Amino acid sequence: MKLERITIENFRQYYGKQRVDFAKEDQKRVTVIHGINGAGKTSFFLSINWCLYGKSFENVKVVDNVGELMSKEAVSRAVIGETVRTSVDLAFLHNGERYMVKRSLQGIKQEDGTVRLEENDNFTMMRTRADGQAERINNPIGTMNSILPVNVREYFLFDGEKIDNFAKPEAAAQVKQAIYLVLKLEILERSRRHLDTVATEYRKELKNKSGKELRDLLEQEEKARADIKKTKDRIYDLHQEKESAEGKVGDIDKRLREMENTNTLQQQRDRIERELKQRRTEMEEVVSTVRDLAVAGFFVVAEPAIKKAIQLLEEKRERGEIPSDYRQQFIKDLISKMVCVCGRPFMDGSEEHKALLAKITHGLPDALQDEVLNTCAVLHAFEQRTEKHRADLDAAMRRRAELVDIIRILEAELDDVSRQLKGSPLEEISKLERQRENFRADIQSNTLEIGSLHVRVDDFTKQIAELKKEIDRARKEEKREVLLSTKLDLAQKAADAIGEMYQTFADDMREKIQEKTKEIFKKLVWKESHFQDVKLGPEFNLEVIDRYGFSARPELSAGERQVLSLSFIMAMSRVSEEEAPLVMDTPFGRLSSHHRNAIAEHLPTLADQLVLFVTDEELRDEARQSLEPRIGAEYRLEFSPRTSCTEIVEVR
Amino acid sequence: MDIPVSRDTVTIDESVHYIYKQLTDGTDPVTVPFKTMKDVFLWAASLGYKRGERRPITGKKLTIFRWAQFSSQNDIPVVKAISLADGDDITVLLSQDEMLNVVEEYANAGIHDLRTRLLDESGQPLWKLVNTL
Repeated sequence: MKLERITIENFRQYYGKQRVDFAKEDQKRVTVIHGINGAGKTSFFLSINWCLYGKSFENVKVVDNVGELMSKEAVSRAVIGETVRTSVDLAFLHNGERYMVKRSLQGIKQEDGTVRLEENDNFTMMRTRADGQAERINNPIGTMNSILPVNVREYFLFDGEKIDNFAKPEAAAQVKQAIYLVLKLEILERSRRHLDTVATEYRKELKNKSGKELRDLLEQEEKARADIKKTKDRIYDLHQEKESAEGKVGDIDKRLREMENTNTLQQQRDRIERELKQRRTEMEEVVSTVRDLAVAGFFVVAEPAIKKAIQLLEEKRERGEIPSDYRQQFIKDLISKMVCVCGRPFMDGSEEHKALLAKITHGLPDALQDEVLNTCAVLHAFEQRTEKHRADLDAAMRRRAELVDIIRILEAELDDVSRQLKGSPLEEISKLERQRENFRADIQSNTLEIGSLHVRVDDFTKQIAELKKEIDRARKEEKREVLLSTKLDLAQKAADAIGEMYQTFADDMREKIQEKTKEIFKKLVWKESHFQDVKLGPEFNLEVIDRYGFSARPELSAGERQVLSLSFIMAMSRVSEEEAPLVMDTPFGRLSSHHRNAIAEHLPTLADQLVLFVTDEELRDEARQSLEPRIGAEYRLEFSPRTSCTEIVEVR
Repeated sequence: MDIPVSRDTVTIDESVHYIYKQLTDGTDPVTVPFKTMKDVFLWAASLGYKRGERRPITGKKLTIFRWAQFSSQNDIPVVKAISLADGDDITVLLSQDEMLNVVEEYANAGIHDLRTRLLDESGQPLWKLVNTL
């Protein structure tokens, strides 16, 4: 940043519009602005700060405790109701582009002589493009802060009164802060802190989860699958047993069929069993029919709705609304052709025309008419269907009852046959039948067990399906966990790396600044031989070491402390490589002539652009002579006690 | 009149989904007469209308089947009859959305009745269903 020009209007004691062009040539880079105490040096200095940052910026107070900014003279000269305006324009170059910033504040003069100010000042920024056209910058505040950050500002635009601050014994924190801000170490530190926080959050999140859930679920699934297998094996065994028992029953039946004494009874049993099988099959079919009829019978339950719907449609029909005796499309065609249904043409507005139009407006839309007619027909059919449905269902239920009886009788007959065989006086026959009964009992119990085992298999299958869903979910979760730990790892590594980088960079910077401060300090201090070294320790304390190797700071004179401070500031502006002007308000006030001379000689080489606000006493004789060849612009602030206003007068 | 693009999904309140599952879970016709949730839905809607109970769906809506699964001979006429009987307005026939809203709300009330009838009392569900007719 290189300042080009400032225009001050009605700012504190600067009444009207006044302008200063700053020196910016390489060889003549110094602008000197003279003024006795109270002439307005500080106001001028303030106007630059106010223009760039306003009264405060991001909670940093820029212009504080200075009273009204608006020129009292301007206010007093304004008539009531007139708008009074304070503004500062600053033109500067930055990175090869020209910028114009303007801050203004206005208000209306009231009857009591005060000015009612608008709530906020107005800040605009323009940039001159390569083609010479100026364009307005939409985010002037952000842009300004990127050119010269507000918290770095005071190291470039500084107040001579506060100049020795850095060299005070308690200033380590301030020195550290200055280095952080100016050298942008803060960005590194902030990103390290941020990454650390992120890593901690990831760690917490990971702690709350663990792979245990997935392992448990997989175990459960495995167990359920093992159970299914076991159950199926058991079903297989039971089937085998059942088949074997059935085979045995078959063998016994064969024997009984062959034996003369039992042959009739066994044939009777064969016949009953065949019939029983048929009846049972029929029973299954009947139950299935009952089920289909019952499930489809909701329309019987909905009978009240069907009746009411039919009634509604019938009423519409009786009122002649449906079905209308013509199609809407047909009427529309007649109207468009202007021909009556009998073929005779008619006129617009004629009786025929009106009648046709009335039919269109009162009729139902075609789509609805179709819908109503169809629904009406279908619902009417339901009235008969309900009766038929009930009759079908009754018939099926009756048949089922009959079959129940038939089956019961057949089973009783079988029992009877069995009883007769068991009661046979022939030992062999009675034994065979008892064996047969046992096998039958086995078959039955196996059938029952097989049935219940099938239910178990179904349950396990359902359980597995549920588990699968859970496992899928847990797997996704686990993927997230893997991702999370990768992220955690990355965040931690990045934080550590930045931490190391930061330390190296900070040490490096500290050493660079130390070297530069030492170099400048030695140039500026006349007792060079007495001071051996300048140190900026790891704790950021600025020390001057004397020839005996002791810290000389306690013995430093106020002037020497100022010089040390100034050296540090200059060192920083050099090391930062920030292209910025050095604007100093009364820098030499407390210095002896020796120091002044040394500073005047070296200062111009240490800054790209230098603006000095000085009193005549501060800059004279040798100091003035040293600076002379570098001065490119020089102004004098002339304060008139009569008007209490300052006029800026160009002296060179 | 063009029929606008309509809702195709038939929905129930999430809180009654378990009843639909209970009533269709199994293959034995005597203990589990219903084969599909559509059948359960139509029964629930018919019972809801018969009892004059209509209950808006307040919970999360769950789709259980689509309009296309309604049969044109049996199911759709009943849906239409309930919709007509509910509002006395024949233009409801042109709005599939409105008809669905009506039957869904009757089903939302009727499903509890169906459950009580078939599952809460002793006896086999199929015979109890038959007795309802």
